[in-house]
Amino acid sequence: MATTQRPSVDETGDSALTATILRPLGRPSWRWMATLAAAAVGLAWFAQAWVFQLRYGLIVTNLADWGYVGGIPWGFYVGSFIWWVGIAHGGIIVSAAVRLFGMDTFAPVARIAELLTLAGLANAGLYIVIHLGRPDRVVSSILPNLPQTIQTSPLAWDVVVITLYFVLTATYLTLTLRHDLHRLAGRLPRAFTPLYRLLLAGHRPGEQAKAERMAWWLALGLIVLAPFFLHGGVIPWLFALLPGQPGWFGPVQGPQFLAAALASALGAVTLLAYVLRRVYRWEELIDDRVFRGLSRWVGLFALLFLWLQLQKVVTGSAMAPLSIETAVDAVVATPLYWVALAMLAVTVAHVGVQMLAPQRFSVGRTVAVAVLPLVAILIEKTLFVVEGLMYPVFDLYEGVPGSYTPSWVELSSLVGALSIMVLFFLVAVKVVPLIELKEAES
Amino acid sequence: MTSEHRDDPPNLVGSDAWAREVLADSEHDTGLGLAVARDAQRVVAGEMTEEEFRRRHHGAYLEAFGVDARPSLDDGLAPPDPERSRAEASPADRGPRDIAEPPRPQDTDAGDDGGPGEPATVPRRAVLGAVGGAAIGALFFGEMFRRNASAGEPPAQGDAASARGDGTARAAGGGVAPPGKQLPVQFGMVIDLERCDGCLDCVQACSDENGLSEGVLWPYVLSYQEPQDVDPRFLVRMCQHCTKAPCVMVCPTGARHRRLADGLVLTDYDVCIGCRYCQVACPYGANVFQWSHPAVYGGSFQGDGRDSRGVKVAGDPPMGVMGKCTFCPIRQEDPERRGTASCVDACAMGALHIGDLNDPESAPNRYLAQRREEAGGNLPTFRLLEGLGTEPNIIYIGQPPSAQAELIDGPFDYEDWDLTEDRRAVLEGPEPWFRRLAREG
Repeated sequence: MATTQRPSVDETGDSALTATILRPLGRPSWRWMATLAAAAVGLAWFAQAWVFQLRYGLIVTNLADWGYVGGIPWGFYVGSFIWWVGIAHGGIIVSAAVRLFGMDTFAPVARIAELLTLAGLANAGLYIVIHLGRPDRVVSSILPNLPQTIQTSPLAWDVVVITLYFVLTATYLTLTLRHDLHRLAGRLPRAFTPLYRLLLAGHRPGEQAKAERMAWWLALGLIVLAPFFLHGGVIPWLFALLPGQPGWFGPVQGPQFLAAALASALGAVTLLAYVLRRVYRWEELIDDRVFRGLSRWVGLFALLFLWLQLQKVVTGSAMAPLSIETAVDAVVATPLYWVALAMLAVTVAHVGVQMLAPQRFSVGRTVAVAVLPLVAILIEKTLFVVEGLMYPVFDLYEGVPGSYTPSWVELSSLVGALSIMVLFFLVAVKVVPLIELKEAES
Repeated sequence: MTSEHRDDPPNLVGSDAWAREVLADSEHDTGLGLAVARDAQRVVAGEMTEEEFRRRHHGAYLEAFGVDARPSLDDGLAPPDPERSRAEASPADRGPRDIAEPPRPQDTDAGDDGGPGEPATVPRRAVLGAVGGAAIGALFFGEMFRRNASAGEPPAQGDAASARGDGTARAAGGGVAPPGKQLPVQFGMVIDLERCDGCLDCVQACSDENGLSEGVLWPYVLSYQEPQDVDPRFLVRMCQHCTKAPCVMVCPTGARHRRLADGLVLTDYDVCIGCRYCQVACPYGANVFQWSHPAVYGGSFQGDGRDSRGVKVAGDPPMGVMGKCTFCPIRQEDPERRGTASCVDACAMGALHIGDLNDPESAPNRYLAQRREEAGGNLPTFRLLEGLGTEPNIIYIGQPPSAQAELIDGPFDYEDWDLTEDRRAVLEGPEPWFRRLAREG
């Protein structure tokens, strides 16, 4: 670790604003401890389920083979993977909007959103590993062969872009965090001093302007990466480039995935911002305008998603090639699909009503409605994976269309991933300021 | 649907043209490769001593690779040793020559946007350092995992390299063909559906030879009925060993690969991570995953399962690894059993024929020619889902199932052969502790 010149103790002065931002960093409350315990229990439950799976194999899931029995080799794990990658977009989209497009309304939630990206990507990576039959080989088998596999395997592309996204986001977060850590030195918990020293390695007082420029370019890179190479590209290509599943085919998949990702991601940011505002009485820092703004964007992306679903259903069920028509008809005949779409429709309708009658705005209702896309997209993405596999081109075998419901082990992974998210924020809130000083001051 | 003959004439293994084609894909000197290949043939023919072979090109080898790793006299000039080639291909042994060193940032690069007096760009260097550290960490953990993973598996006799887990056949730099590439030898089958009576002998023979777990059926016989027919028809569906195999293309590890020697599509059981992308990408549904310990589900494969490259490709796969019909790859390397397969041997109707589809004299081609002659040149043939562009290497004699075809119960039952058709019925995991507790009160 580089030796660091300790920043002066009290550059910021004792402004009330700083004190508000630092409010969560003190001793943990009983509520914090209770939440920690709940998350730890959730994580422990998932851990024992995963150990069970590691011991006996993926037989403990309800996944199975297709080809002569009607099984589904990919299911809830892959659906959840798509969902978490999508949520991970929220952070960087919000943060980049502030930095690149001057959307300062969202500045107070920018760092919360960046942290959401990190935790979301970590969960996406976790889902890749849980999904494997031999997770012990994930590094030894993928890394040495990457120069060859990267040429043709969408899953190799996927591993690379998710790693890249994670590194870029972590770098971005570190760059923006250093300034605050430097300014708040002496007022941060002593217990984490080694961590702060590590994050502030090589810090010079004059670096801020340069760090800002670097962050701007990183934000640009991340916002370009997302539509072209992540949720608008590589993730849908995992499915749409295959020859045997007509339900996955089509140029609409990229835009459709991206719209779904952004709707759920912004929903997640809204929920997190709301919880943190309530717990730490941050009404003056995260005011109602943030929620008004976020809900509009959630509504817009939900609308986009519904529009793209309409395209898929109309073109697929009229005079499409038989295999596509079969796949689309199957989607249309699934009640759960309509439940998911209805949830998104409620979000869109709520935004419409709110625009017509702004005086009837309620933060609680706005948050509740913004959370709907989160649930809807998890359902829709799991259905997308499962139904694509149920209606293959080669359908002349016993068991088409097959059947699948996630097992208790598979569903436990959701408990685990949500617990990881909660734990991550419980720790983050005690270690770093969750609202950027500069943004708050401005 | 009668495209059983390829347009391009078969190349001859060992010819200069063939060698040029193979070497063109390598980043190394084609001339040197050709010269060494010719000299190696001379050694085999007794026209050149092993000593001379070793001496010749030594300098060129050192220049090209930095090391002359050809088998030496001290090695007893052993045949190409998978252990050696794997070790040579391992990143640790390659050293810095093969890994380009990233350009080092200047210690003081304030000139890019900082004026005089502005501090050196420490943050960027710190960031780069952290990224570099992460990369080194990843490599370290990769190595650790690799050792742990291989430590848990018993070393195979005669192939210490594979037991060490030095990598795939692909990493060994040999024995693997890219998907889509036409090979001089391409194994495939001719399956005469007009002869098949749906007896399931092939399914059972395969299960026996490969010691398959209960419910795992590598060949599968679909019985179906066309609306205009009275009698049932059959489709023997197994891995099509496609030239342009989607499963090979999507595999994120290179475990699913095409064997260079004969174009067989195989899985390296030591490398597969069980992501099941091959299973999802295969339009034929030919893959069968090992969802649990094979021993628990009647898996009884006893052999080593390694081919001449030292790659574990045959038999019932271990837990968490993908399996499928392999076209009996160990047999195809044995001069006495080449051109046979368990299913082919078992077929009393003589409906299955395996061999090199590029060789006009191979069993499948001779059979096809004979049936054509019998049919007066009007023999219906097809390849399964040919329109998807996978270039499957099974030629079926008969009509493909129409869109109106309906699956029916065949004349023979899988249970009569002691086989389980509904694998999901046996894919029952153990009872979790909380359910046991609830049950016991």
